[in-house]
Amino acid sequence: MLVKLQFLNFFNFFCNRKLLVAFCLIVTIQMFGHGDLSERILLKTIEIIEDPENYKLYYERGFLYQQHIDYNEALEDYIKSESLGNTDKVLHYRMAEVNYLTNAYSNALVNIGAYLKVDSIDVKAKKLEAQILFKLNEYEKSLKSYQYVLQNTIDLRPEDIIEYTHIILSENNKNYNSAIVAIEFGLQKLGSNTISLQLKKLEYLKESEQVEKALQQFNYFIIQFKRKEFWFYKKAKYLIEINRKKEARITLKFATRSIEELDTRFKNMESIKKLKEQIKNLENKTNQ
Amino acid sequence: MIKISAQLILMLFTFFSFTQTAIADIPEIETIARIKNFGVSSDTTAVKVERGPYLQIATPTSVVVKWRTNVPTESVVNYGLELGLLSDKESNFNEMTEHEVSLTGLKPNTKYYFNIGNEAGVLSESSTGDMYVITAPKVGTKQFVRAWILGDAGTANNNQRNVRDAYYKYVDTESANTGKTDMMLFLGDNAYRTGTDVEYQNAFFDIYHNMLKKSVAWSCLGNHDGYSADSATQSGPYYDIFSFPTGGQAGGTPSGTEAYYSFDYANIHFIILDSHHSNREVGGAMYNWAQTDIQNTTQDWIVTLFHHPVYTKGSHDSDTEDRLIEMRENFMPMMENNGVDLILNGHSHSYERSYFLNGHYGFSNTFNPNEIKNGGHTVGISGKGDGKTDGDGIYQKTNEATAGAVYITTGSAGKTSGGDLNHKAMSVSLNELGSCVMEVEDDGQGGQNLTVKFIRENDEVDDYFTINKKGISQKVESIKKAEKEITVKKNAIALFDADKDVVYIKVNPGERLKKVKIYNNLGKRVIKSKKSNIDVSGLQKGMYVVEVKTDKSTYTETIIIE
Ligand SMILES: [Fe+2]
Repeated sequence: MLVKLQFLNFFNFFCNRKLLVAFCLIVTIQMFGHGDLSERILLKTIEIIEDPENYKLYYERGFLYQQHIDYNEALEDYIKSESLGNTDKVLHYRMAEVNYLTNAYSNALVNIGAYLKVDSIDVKAKKLEAQILFKLNEYEKSLKSYQYVLQNTIDLRPEDIIEYTHIILSENNKNYNSAIVAIEFGLQKLGSNTISLQLKKLEYLKESEQVEKALQQFNYFIIQFKRKEFWFYKKAKYLIEINRKKEARITLKFATRSIEELDTRFKNMESIKKLKEQIKNLENKTNQ
Repeated sequence: MIKISAQLILMLFTFFSFTQTAIADIPEIETIARIKNFGVSSDTTAVKVERGPYLQIATPTSVVVKWRTNVPTESVVNYGLELGLLSDKESNFNEMTEHEVSLTGLKPNTKYYFNIGNEAGVLSESSTGDMYVITAPKVGTKQFVRAWILGDAGTANNNQRNVRDAYYKYVDTESANTGKTDMMLFLGDNAYRTGTDVEYQNAFFDIYHNMLKKSVAWSCLGNHDGYSADSATQSGPYYDIFSFPTGGQAGGTPSGTEAYYSFDYANIHFIILDSHHSNREVGGAMYNWAQTDIQNTTQDWIVTLFHHPVYTKGSHDSDTEDRLIEMRENFMPMMENNGVDLILNGHSHSYERSYFLNGHYGFSNTFNPNEIKNGGHTVGISGKGDGKTDGDGIYQKTNEATAGAVYITTGSAGKTSGGDLNHKAMSVSLNELGSCVMEVEDDGQGGQNLTVKFIRENDEVDDYFTINKKGISQKVESIKKAEKEITVKKNAIALFDADKDVVYIKVNPGERLKKVKIYNNLGKRVIKSKKSNIDVSGLQKGMYVVEVKTDKSTYTETIIIE
């Protein structure tokens, strides 16, 4: 009985042009398409054909489009979803994301504002707001939003801290000290040996010409790492940049000896062969 | 509700992709039982373990045991060296449902049986002794290591179960190291479609339950895990389920994030990258960390895993997709130059395995099968062969010839999705279900073999290859070190005598010693002297530079005080 009924429906279905299009789409996707997202978009499209006034479906397809990096289609679906009565805050968040990703920053700011009106303590939304404000060159406001993120995110990532320091330096390109304070905050939160932060700290100390502190920071890496050859070399390079050739010469001796101490296998790796050349070039410079 | 005609389309759709699409699947019996229990109110429900136990972050001296209970309760792990005598206990009196207990102060390379429970008693145990942890060997140890590698497994259907069972059968019937699985390496997309908690229960915990309670699981983030997990806030099921070493506690460099991390196991260094959410640029936080990390390892083998494949012409295409291209162009030159041996990826639902490669960062059609010395992309005389002992010969690495790596895209532990499967850098491309096993063992000649096998769902081994590395046994290294010390001593101006804690300065005939300065490795002068015998008993162990001034010249020499 059920089979018979379904067969009749199957027949009707071919008489429905919209569904015929959908059917062709399926075949096409099966023949040429890769990837799960395209399949899911298609399935959602079929659901929409069946229930075209359902704002939830447009939102869901919009999000699939967004994941598929079809931002224009995503936004269209979100707008449609909103026009059909979707008032969910998440919709505003997604719209803000898509507008941000397509460089429509003013629109993005409106969207995220709408979200934060409903939920003012969401760290993820605050972060997006900070990123949008940054793009709009509203650095002070951006910093304020980001500070909230840093204070309230449970699992911060090193990337967050680095992004925050970029905003600090965009607001004032000499404000390295604040950037370094932020790095220290990150190290405290994420672990004192979080390497991408320690590397950033070194970069900022060098750029702000805090020579002795920068050298101390090189020493941190030399102490911290088992294999020190790359760090001796980098420190020597910096010493030459600041015209302290004698110290550079001694540091290069350490670099060379560290390489000699490596197991043969490592000595023959491309990175070490290149390092040896770089050491030689620097040694020539120290002798000039 | 979807209407009937849409259902019909869905049926048709399923018909076209009938082989393995996992829209729905029959849950295992245990899952049904669990769901039925769920409706009972907590005061009448007995405490039950709903998930786990499973093992995380194993180091030579510690391991993390995790599990979930249906109602909040205390966490207790009883453990010990004998099954009948679990005399050690680690507990947490806070009542919770997500339990996480660290066992510390363990002995390396040692089997500890355990059970889990609460203050009232044991909630889960194995009377046959199948709930245990074997701690990691001391870093650098050369011994047999077996890792089970699963890519894109999470369909929760019979394909996934068949692939699992084929491996279980393999490991239980191997004549050597029977039943030993040191670790499980998940390549992401561990639970379709969006890596939710329920999907993880069905596709991960229910499927691998028996292995998870005796082998440590590691993973990288797949795009499907990434739909529900958020690397930006390190939240969502993927990050809640797994615990990874962010502070270098398992041997790697601290990354400060669970999105990417590294660890050591025996003499292998594992680098896990996030190719989905994290920035993949050269100079980005992940790249800087990875470079620092790989340049700090002294391990014999380096294995890396991330979800998006460097080379594939399967259900994804490494010539056209951003993440794949970026991982190849940005990360691989750096990793190859620093000695990576094996690259494990998923994402394409197929098995594609490369020749022995170096320096191929372009599209498939730019692949040159010639040897690297002749401008090609393969390494050694066997490099463009199949890597088999009984075929074109195994791939070879020596202390002198250090280049060469095998790339595997193995994302068919849950389903296959076809594709052209004709990437030119691949030695083998199969649209078959299966998982991989990596085995590292002594070659009996002072080196080691790293062998990977592709185990089909039908128990067949459809592909295998071996990379041999010569001259890595401890004996060889110590001989070399002794030889080196003799050569250093012959020509030295400064010599350290360890017995007397003295550095002797020897100047050339006809020259007069004027001044000696000794610098530590931070460039600080620690000794200034005019003598030729210098007492260094006050100096710490380490490397020093001795600067010797004579009336004619200045010499420098490095010494190591041991
Ligand atoms: Fe994937």
